[in-house]
Amino acid sequence: MGRYLFILVVFVAELTLPVAAQNLTLPLKPDSVRFAVIGDTGTGGTAQYEVAQRIVEYRQKFPFDFVVMVGDNIYGGESPKDFQVKFEIPYKPLLDGGVKFYAALGNHDNVNQRSYKFFNMNGAQYYTFRKGNVRFFALDSNYMDPKQLAWLEQELKASGSDWKVCYFHHPLYSSGKKHGSATELRLLLEPIFVKYGVQVVFSGHEHVYERVKPQQGVQYFTEGASAKLMARSLQATSFKAAGFDTDYSFMLVEITGDELYFQTISRTGATVDSGVLRRPAQAQSTAPAPANSDSRMTLLPALRGLRGDSRLAEEPGPRRSPSNREEHSGHVSR
Amino acid sequence: MRHLALVFCLLAFTGAACGQDVAPKPQAPQDAKQVQAFKEFTELVQQYVELRKKLEASLPRLGSKEPQDKIVAHQQAFAQKIQEARARAKRGDIFAPKIAKEFRRLIRREFLGPKGPNARKTMRQGEPVKPFRLRVGDTYPETLPVTTMPPALLLKLPQLPEGVAYRIVGRDLVLQDVEASVIVDFIHEALPK
Repeated sequence: MGRYLFILVVFVAELTLPVAAQNLTLPLKPDSVRFAVIGDTGTGGTAQYEVAQRIVEYRQKFPFDFVVMVGDNIYGGESPKDFQVKFEIPYKPLLDGGVKFYAALGNHDNVNQRSYKFFNMNGAQYYTFRKGNVRFFALDSNYMDPKQLAWLEQELKASGSDWKVCYFHHPLYSSGKKHGSATELRLLLEPIFVKYGVQVVFSGHEHVYERVKPQQGVQYFTEGASAKLMARSLQATSFKAAGFDTDYSFMLVEITGDELYFQTISRTGATVDSGVLRRPAQAQSTAPAPANSDSRMTLLPALRGLRGDSRLAEEPGPRRSPSNREEHSGHVSR
Repeated sequence: MRHLALVFCLLAFTGAACGQDVAPKPQAPQDAKQVQAFKEFTELVQQYVELRKKLEASLPRLGSKEPQDKIVAHQQAFAQKIQEARARAKRGDIFAPKIAKEFRRLIRREFLGPKGPNARKTMRQGEPVKPFRLRVGDTYPETLPVTTMPPALLLKLPQLPEGVAYRIVGRDLVLQDVEASVIVDFIHEALPK
């Protein structure tokens, strides 16, 4: 009898644990731009599949319709079979559900991934697309030549979107032991981000999750642990705001009006970081943002670093309006 | 009145500064020798690019949203065409000795100068690329990552047309065909120790 009771308890726990873990801190506001961020994914290993499964589960509560990939999309061989095992099978429920993936290239990625249909790069190594009031810029940080820098500056200058989000593989700020910050790249990119009011940057490469304190008004995130992990590799730095390096993770993001909500979730479904960034008044135009100001993005303290916050979890929201139409353009070759 | 004029001047200056592009531009070669060498290099690269354009045109067109099997087939067919058309190509055909000498001089200056440590840090940031034997006409091993190109160096090297890119393998500088992944030419030990 005792044995059966034990099995029953274990069975119930197994059933309820993932559900209990799915607390959502995102507001699910009407017409918001919703997406997931994953990085360093293409291993085809168990961890990738487990994280993918968790993303699928969260999509039930947080209906997003695209995923941003910050590079190292396919490790090792790039045969059609590799693309199945390392991308198409783990994310099949998302692909079947109409979710679009927008990839940036990592140092393990063949340039020809730009023509792969599910990465939506449209043959471009770096490109831009718009979703609602947000313009995304996917860059190739393996090869930041003058052509790409000039393209980025022109595109940012021409962008009238409220939010400007850049993503690429190498983090400009990283507390990770293995690679650290891409300082040379930072010297070139950060002045551009600051001048043209880029508010948020997502990167990967370092196999951890990290949120950096806003630097010159730009909020940097690293999400490079969606299939690979460098356990306990985050070091203390002056710029680290939050980090998670003991399990795999992914991010969910919702942008609505002047607010960007983010939630970082572990493989087991635990919320390891969450918060909201506010776009202040001076960044609400295409005018250059003030340099040397860390106050351009505000991280609202009420949601900073919450763990498993369920404040907004039960508030069901409608799916995003189809009026959030998309535009896409890019540079075809380097 | 003079103060007012000064304020206007200051405002005009600030405005101009704000309007300036911040993305760094490609940098000019150091001297006449380098100008000449890089001009010759650019011409040779252009000849290669013309050839590859012709070869690619003979293949079924690759769209911008393809399944992976089609991408792989295109890459392999393209590589084969290039290998056949350049069956006699050898090291130094594009990086001719005079040209290679100027590349080495430029790279050495960059790596041994104040920006050198940052450039080396950039290269170290990726997974170390296991050195492999480079041969003109071979394809870049598909399972190996690429070394991140130091962006400050890319500002100084001659700008390349579409279809080719620089790569670093160990201390060698490689000119690679982007789509076909073929090694077009390389400079042995282009980077200082």
